Amino acid sequence: MRRLGVAFILLWSLLPLYWALNTSLQTDAQVGAKPAHYVPPSPTLRNYHTLLGGADEIPDAIRRSTVNIFVECGAATIVTVVLATLAAYAFARMRFRGRSVLFYAVLATMAFPAYTTLIPLYRILSTFGLVNTYTGIVLVYVSGFLPLATWILHAYMSSLPRAIEEAAEVDGASRMRVLWHVVLPLARPGIISTAIITFLFAWAQFLFPLVLSSDLSTQPLTVVIAALQGRHVVPFSLLSAAGVFALAVPAVIAMTLNRYIVSGLLSGSVK
Amino acid sequence: MKRRFDFLPYALVSPLAAFIVALALVPAGVTIIQSFYRVQELNPPTRFNGLDNFRELFSDTAVRSSMVNTGLYVLFGVTLSTVLGIIMAVTLQRHFRGRSIVIAVLILPWALPGVVEGIVWTGIWDSNTGLLNSVLSSLHLIDHYQVYLGQNRLLTIFAIELVHVWQITPLSTLLVLAALQNIPGELYESANLDGCSPWAALWRITLPLARPGIAIAMVQALIATLNVFDQPYVLNGAAPTGASVTMQTYFISFQNLDFGAGYALSLLITVATLVLSLGVVKLVYRSVEF
Repeated sequence: MRRLGVAFILLWSLLPLYWALNTSLQTDAQVGAKPAHYVPPSPTLRNYHTLLGGADEIPDAIRRSTVNIFVECGAATIVTVVLATLAAYAFARMRFRGRSVLFYAVLATMAFPAYTTLIPLYRILSTFGLVNTYTGIVLVYVSGFLPLATWILHAYMSSLPRAIEEAAEVDGASRMRVLWHVVLPLARPGIISTAIITFLFAWAQFLFPLVLSSDLSTQPLTVVIAALQGRHVVPFSLLSAAGVFALAVPAVIAMTLNRYIVSGLLSGSVK
Repeated sequence: MKRRFDFLPYALVSPLAAFIVALALVPAGVTIIQSFYRVQELNPPTRFNGLDNFRELFSDTAVRSSMVNTGLYVLFGVTLSTVLGIIMAVTLQRHFRGRSIVIAVLILPWALPGVVEGIVWTGIWDSNTGLLNSVLSSLHLIDHYQVYLGQNRLLTIFAIELVHVWQITPLSTLLVLAALQNIPGELYESANLDGCSPWAALWRITLPLARPGIAIAMVQALIATLNVFDQPYVLNGAAPTGASVTMQTYFISFQNLDFGAGYALSLLITVATLVLSLGVVKLVYRSVEF
């Protein structure tokens, strides 16, 4: 029974991805064959070459939007993790007025569907001239990811033993020194989890950047690839190569760092 | 002696507070209030118009049809992802060699962008070159290639939601799995000694004790399916056979530039999300102690 279950999980997760890879390694004529080629008859990287090389419109858009997605995801991840770490430390270790009100307000925003705020965020950004800028997109991403990041880090820091921090404080270390030299090293796995999950969420964004960025100066890869899909002149083998290209980074992260993803997703969600 | 006021915690939480207030709470408040206003960027002025936006939405056939579609997405998506999540979690309940690799493969679809997953699955559903048609006709189950998307509404929505279920099931599985791992092994041992079959143990021990995890998994699936956008947008475009309420919100707000109606529709989805989530928790959640 378990073997059957394991076989099902592997097939379910991998078959669609295998199929996209298989399609991307064929010419468009081969893709049209009936029945389909279940393995590429003469594997070729030509689609990837068309997608990424040369000075045509498509490779230009793909390269530009790849830079954009890295900038936006990287910046959003760094800002989110730094701010969430500071706040989570305060929530986990300090007593102050308004602590629970703020903490529950942060949690409450997680209960709202993200798209509730799409239109007002667009209008706020447009008031400040931040539509179609990296700053605008990163601000929106950070506001969206901060609650979960704070929640994960709060759960992680609360689970750390206090004794070491107290010993450091008895020795006269300031609380910021304790945070930097004691808490941060201990909380490293939690911080890594938070960073990975935030990065993956940012990489997967589509509707927000679709609305908030209007041209190639800020459009991420996801938006550009969806636009390619809408054009019938783009052959499906090329589109599959674009898909595989956009999946590569998150797929490698998920396969290599899955330990951190699982522990991060589960911290605090159950119990 | 009076204690000095402690600034440090406020300094640490203030950036978070600024983000939450300015970019989450204020926008949410704007959505609620402006749902009752006429807000049209190209056609000012903005003024209070009571329930006009909601009346306009309910008299719009595209919106009504998208509500039915979203209802079907929720129904298919929550059911399928919960059932599959339980099956996968039970498969992974006990340790075995290679389990961590299987978990790594399991979470893969969760980690990938929904739009790109839509493109990947186009290769399966496509009416000319798709994998499904090729396999079914090789097995002589169909005599000619079929169209799965954009014709029959139920079939279209099922096919699109399966792509979405592919993305959300890994998280359901992990949430159920976490609950399963809190169940003490002795329970199964004594059930086994009492002559309880593995099948009976699944129904009498595993599922009842996994209820907290199943409830959370269902809530996350509910929120995801009520707000589905990427998969129908990529797989079926604006066609009424598959357009979701979130897609309609996007069209109304950013193509027709009727922000007031867009706010009203966002508010409706939000209220539906909160009410249905509470309903699922009330229905499924039971606190469990060992």
